[in-house]
Amino acid sequence: MNELAQKLSTGQVTSVELVEYYLDQIRSRDGEIGAFLHVDEQGALESARAADARRRAGRPLSPWDGIPVAVKDNICTVGMPTTCASRMLRGYYSPFDAEVVERLKQAGLPILGKTNLDEFAMGSSTEYSAYHVTRNPHDLSRVPGGSSGGSAAAVAAGLAPWALGTDTGGSIRQPAAFCGIVGFKPTYGRVSRWGLVALASSMDQIGPMAATVEDAEALFSLIAGGDHRDSTSAPQAEYVLPEEIPDCLEGVRVGVPEEFFGNGVAEEVAAKVKAAVKLLEGLGAEVRPISLPHSTYAIDTYLTLVTAEASSNLARYDGVRYGLRVAAADAAAMFKQTRTQGFGHEVKRRIMLGTYVLTASHHEAYYQQACKVRALITQDLENAFRQVHLIVTPTTPSTAFRIGEKQDPLQMYLSDQFTATANLAGVPALTMPCGRDKLGLPIGVQLMADHFQDGLLFTAGRLLERALKEAEAVGQL
Amino acid sequence: MISRSEVIRMAELARLELSEAEIVQYQEDLNRFLRSGAALRQVDTSGVDLITYVGRAPTRMRADHVEPSLPQAKALSNGPQVVDGYFRVPRVMEDAE
Amino acid sequence: MGNYEVRIGLEIHVELATKTKIFCGCAVAFGAPPNSLCCPVCLGLPGSLPVLNRAAVQYAVRAALALKCSVNLYSEFARKNYFYPDLPKAFQITQHDKPLAENGAVQYYLDGALMETRITRLHLEEEAGKLIHSGESIVGSEYTSVDYNRAGIPLIEIVTAPDISSPAQARAFLEQLRLILQYTGVSDCRMERGSLRCDANISLHGAEGQGGVRVEIKNLNSFRALERALAFEAERQADVLDRGGVILAETRTWDERAQKTVRMRGKASTPDYRYFPEPDLPPLQLDAHWVAELKETLPELPLAREERYQRDYGLTPYDAGVLVRAPHLAQLFEAVVALGHEPRLAANWISVEYARHWRQGGTVAAEQLGELLTLVAAGEISGTQAKSVLEAMARTGRSAKEIVAAEGLTVIADREYLVELARRVLRENQALVERYLAGEQRLLGFFVGQVMRETGGRAEPKLVNELLVQELAAGRNWQPRAE
Repeated sequence: MNELAQKLSTGQVTSVELVEYYLDQIRSRDGEIGAFLHVDEQGALESARAADARRRAGRPLSPWDGIPVAVKDNICTVGMPTTCASRMLRGYYSPFDAEVVERLKQAGLPILGKTNLDEFAMGSSTEYSAYHVTRNPHDLSRVPGGSSGGSAAAVAAGLAPWALGTDTGGSIRQPAAFCGIVGFKPTYGRVSRWGLVALASSMDQIGPMAATVEDAEALFSLIAGGDHRDSTSAPQAEYVLPEEIPDCLEGVRVGVPEEFFGNGVAEEVAAKVKAAVKLLEGLGAEVRPISLPHSTYAIDTYLTLVTAEASSNLARYDGVRYGLRVAAADAAAMFKQTRTQGFGHEVKRRIMLGTYVLTASHHEAYYQQACKVRALITQDLENAFRQVHLIVTPTTPSTAFRIGEKQDPLQMYLSDQFTATANLAGVPALTMPCGRDKLGLPIGVQLMADHFQDGLLFTAGRLLERALKEAEAVGQL
Repeated sequence: MISRSEVIRMAELARLELSEAEIVQYQEDLNRFLRSGAALRQVDTSGVDLITYVGRAPTRMRADHVEPSLPQAKALSNGPQVVDGYFRVPRVMEDAE
Repeated sequence: MGNYEVRIGLEIHVELATKTKIFCGCAVAFGAPPNSLCCPVCLGLPGSLPVLNRAAVQYAVRAALALKCSVNLYSEFARKNYFYPDLPKAFQITQHDKPLAENGAVQYYLDGALMETRITRLHLEEEAGKLIHSGESIVGSEYTSVDYNRAGIPLIEIVTAPDISSPAQARAFLEQLRLILQYTGVSDCRMERGSLRCDANISLHGAEGQGGVRVEIKNLNSFRALERALAFEAERQADVLDRGGVILAETRTWDERAQKTVRMRGKASTPDYRYFPEPDLPPLQLDAHWVAELKETLPELPLAREERYQRDYGLTPYDAGVLVRAPHLAQLFEAVVALGHEPRLAANWISVEYARHWRQGGTVAAEQLGELLTLVAAGEISGTQAKSVLEAMARTGRSAKEIVAAEGLTVIADREYLVELARRVLRENQALVERYLAGEQRLLGFFVGQVMRETGGRAEPKLVNELLVQELAAGRNWQPRAE
């Protein structure tokens, strides 16, 4: 991205040229990939022209003024629909921009359009979108992952230079891993949720998805920061890009939790991730085994809490003020018909489950118990971060599965078993490609760090990326 | 485990209408999930304080200053049925819960 | 009802008089066009988030302190989930397990006896929007219109222990609660406008364990309705229990027209609100100093003031009560007393005559009122005259002295002159004098009246009275004085 920025500032390339290039790519290739739900040709070109004018006047809004971006369709944008890939919000135009969108505009980035997702961000494959399926650019018969599958596929296929996704249990990292790109979930509270259509408020975060760690970091620096409109937004959340980074990881301790390399992990995935760990060692990091004893409960804890919060967050879709309305003789019937027809199966399933765990008779055994185990999982991480600075795990247990392969929702949920921990504890996590499997499908390695150690993840990520490239060049991978 | 009548009650609480096939399907799905989560429910959490907030933001409050509201037209702009500045709904048969 | 112990508890909602809503910066105002005071937050638009209004917390804390509650420095917000068109998010942000304040009490007088009702808890929550049904009632309507201008106005919910044992006591309690809250300035507490709402719970308890079932009563729109509904319900329950029947735990609504409680429609099953901590709001952590400072800002509360007026100024319970119940009058009273005027005289004039004019919109400043009182106390004008002077003062804004001078009102206290008048009156009413002397003492009033009439009301009545008595006792010879 710094290259592009360079070229834009010297006038070697214009923003309009860039935007036209990507629009062209979208036109010719998105038919088969299906990354986008909405493309704003006119708006993007208009923004590009304005960016070019600013560049010519020597007054760019930011180093990346004029570099287009794609935005996941559960993030509110004025002038473009925000559908959350649901029938419920077909044609919904938000009267306000999300804070992150305001920041993108303030930095001069034209918005190419809105990308596909699992309906209301509930899913791990983007198959639950009410509109269409998105395909993994590496193998069109396979899923790109989810729920930010559209954003991941767009970046992987070169339809957008970078994109915003959202992550509640792994929805940025898992598709990034499946599509062979970089995805980052910030420390909880580091990026404002104002304008993010809520799934699970205590876990949702917006994050960058890009081809390289440096690009992801640059996009992150644009969107990170406190926001008085989000009460959960941390006050010192701004992220300043480092002038330079160290060239090794001397003094950094890396923890490898044994629980994340068990039977459920595909052999090749484990192998590639372990190889990445070796490279970290080669960079000077001290690697040691650690234990996160309660991580076996992460996925069930996550499911209990995400469905509970979602059942409440999605109750507002009742046909009164916005969105779909199915006509009926009385209001109660209208609520029911509207919600029944507006929501897809997975959404309904999660709402049912979430309702169940919150009802009075089950509240203690399910919801409260999950909150307590969440505390234990968080404590595990706190203990770990007293011993190490980074924790490395596979991002997902396997590589991208085929479209239609995972019919059992429970199987689908297991994709998030390594990523959900970070959301439960609120810590930042980065995924980056670390190789391919025999079929050529991308494998992702996940790095986690303590609250507000986002910078350490990017530094380690960049160094690891460099090391991986060198190793590949030398044929070591 | 979740009974059929409980499934129907959950659907009612969530204002969802389920077909017969859906009731059966959801009962199955929910039970599978509950079985998988059985281990979670057995974790010894005595003495553990539950957490619901993992952020580091302190209590945040805003000053009591008026900020511009949305213009009426904007507020109503996505309304499925708007009449004379009001959101209109078909008759409300019950009292609030 | 005699055989049963009545236990009543109240649940009160009070709209706080902040400038903006509890979770967004929309103005709190009335009479605006529908849906013109709304924003993404109070409309519950996708992607919106709540931010707490500091003033709402301040007001709630002050109210809690005024109600003698202990304020929890740590409290949490929670979601109460249910579906209704006036609820924009399909959940209300309220406080459940960890409320802002608990364990308070309100003391008040009922028929001269000092009562106390405990406050179990006080917490913050948000108001819902307004529904306007197209027909006269919910059932007869074809459609309903929804206005969210009101959605998000800050509320405090106050719950009492079931300490109240009669409908009259419930009313007295609520009136005192309202007065206390008005004193703190947190709300104007107008039931007719909906800024004060009250639901009641009532159960009857027989000596042999009969009853003991709580019935909730809603739709109480006035103090009178509260009292009547409770009276009706107590009787209804007593009837049922007398006949050996069973009281159903239910929610009933007060039918103002039929003057009875009726079971509410459409309540098939008990609602399950699925409360859980509000994830969009971090826990509310208050600073002890901040709370202590707020405590300092509390004014003297009504009961304390009522007792002080009686104790320090010797006011009658009635006068003290009138003054305290109208903070403006109490303020005026204290200002006048501060100027050095006699408290009981001041209280008397303010609580009766002045109050009458004030209720119709007239006001008089403390100094001016004081001036009037000085004239009265010095005997320069009579009580009767003072009343019309005050009326003129309230109407025109002129000072007492101006009016007295303008109308030439001075008390006639010239004994010689009055004696002449007295004698003339007696001379002209010989027959009545005879009757007086024969024993009809009350005719004195007539004679006084006559003299007063002759002087255009300007004579000092006590003096006239004294002189007449004197003359009547002195003899029958009321010839005009020879000159």
